[in-house]
Amino acid sequence: MPLLLGVVLPAALLLSLPTAQVNLANAAFLVNLSTMYFVVMAAVLPTVIASYSFVGEKIEKSLEPLLATPTTDGELLLGKSLAALVPCVGATYVGAAIFVTLVDAWSYANLGIFLLPNMDWSLIMGLVVPLACILSVESNVIISSRVNDVRAAQQLGSFVVLPLILVLILAPTIEFTSISTLALIISGMLAVADIALFYLSKATFKREEILTKWK
Amino acid sequence: MIDTENLTRKFGDLTAVEDLTLHVDEGEVFGFLGPNAAGKTTTVRMLCCLIAKTSGKAYVGGLEVEREEDCLKIRKMVGLLPENVGLYDSLSAYRNLDFYGRLYEVPSEKRRENIESLLRLMELWERRDDAVGTFSKGTKQKIAIARALIHDPKVLFLDEPTANLDPEAAKTVRDFILELKKQKRTIFLNTHNLDEADRLCDRIGILKTKLLTVGAPRSLETDVHGRKTVVHLERVSDLVLASVRKLGVVKNVRVSENRLILDVNSPERDNPDVVRAIVAAGGNVQYVTELRSTLEDVYLKLIREAEAK
Repeated sequence: MPLLLGVVLPAALLLSLPTAQVNLANAAFLVNLSTMYFVVMAAVLPTVIASYSFVGEKIEKSLEPLLATPTTDGELLLGKSLAALVPCVGATYVGAAIFVTLVDAWSYANLGIFLLPNMDWSLIMGLVVPLACILSVESNVIISSRVNDVRAAQQLGSFVVLPLILVLILAPTIEFTSISTLALIISGMLAVADIALFYLSKATFKREEILTKWK
Repeated sequence: MIDTENLTRKFGDLTAVEDLTLHVDEGEVFGFLGPNAAGKTTTVRMLCCLIAKTSGKAYVGGLEVEREEDCLKIRKMVGLLPENVGLYDSLSAYRNLDFYGRLYEVPSEKRRENIESLLRLMELWERRDDAVGTFSKGTKQKIAIARALIHDPKVLFLDEPTANLDPEAAKTVRDFILELKKQKRTIFLNTHNLDEADRLCDRIGILKTKLLTVGAPRSLETDVHGRKTVVHLERVSDLVLASVRKLGVVKNVRVSENRLILDVNSPERDNPDVVRAIVAAGGNVQYVTELRSTLEDVYLKLIREAEAK
């Protein structure tokens, strides 16, 4: 999906720009606007992978031997989160790399400069993408440890990340001094939410409930 | 190695395990028998620190089951084969074991050695790179036992290790457990299979929410129903029957064709008197045997009594 986004997004945005309006300001605006879609992608992907983390083990009946190991709750949650986070962020970055390559190829050919990466792009990709992904992963891991089937986990997971997606989509449309400042503010909020959610996930993770409430 | 004192677990209004007090020695194979929902799995889960107890005390290897720091040590000390093997089908046998070896923090060199020795012991070394999903149920069960042993645990909990296996696979697993018994591992075996318990276990506990009895299989067979002496005669005459009934050591007499089935306190002590009395009454004794109740008789008697209460 992110790979597709990396190809389709620049094609759709830049090729739709009328030749008469091809200039640096318009191109930069469109590129910055499309960057947020990678953040959305990073937030949506874990609803597929992270939502499977515990409920998938429940279904495969492999959770009991896992819970019987001398791993702490925090280690289990961290392991499950990383297992979802790494491929999600990785795939998003690969898609973003394709996006940068295509955008730069176009911008060099039409404007004589490389549009990306710039400061705004770097902050969004370096901070907002992983932090949004962590938030989504943690939400989905919590849900996965409390439901009984994958479909319910995915549906609830999608529902939980919906407000986050809304904020990310609306953010670039807000009148703000700079996208970099906005990215830093969003990152700060996400970081606080990530830390809070990790402690919440530890507090709500109950081995006994997971084992005894199996259906 | 395992001690419990009045260990109790309730789920809401339902009492799964009540006042369980037992002791399992180091190197002992202890069988836990009981029907479905008797509390066997709940007991194992409590002892493996997977679920909390409601009351009472439990110790594994001297560590108390409750305190978080002790629970981590207990989990490191025990190996668990749950009722569902729960292997990762897409991973190879080797990688399944390696993954768990890492979780148990077994150093890499030791991990490699353990995996190789366990897979060779189970004659699966040649198939180490095959995906577990391609294995038969019995083979998966063996790998799951190997997983429980990957960190050389002091105590092994086996929950229904031969359930749902065909006779051949069940035999393979039983042979493997016998192999572990020779290694003097402490094994706590939950099973429905009375024959399996009889053959594998040093002692057996019968559970139906409460512990109904504990003992060696042979002693259970005699303790519950007593031992019976069977005297095979050419013909059971009224005179013979009357003379046997007169004997104080004989508590009960039953006639079955040309056999007398007698309840005596101590066959070693009382049988000579019985034979002498029969011969004196003109009976021709062909041979004398002992009739023991089976573990199945004991089990059914105790479970029915418990259900009737």
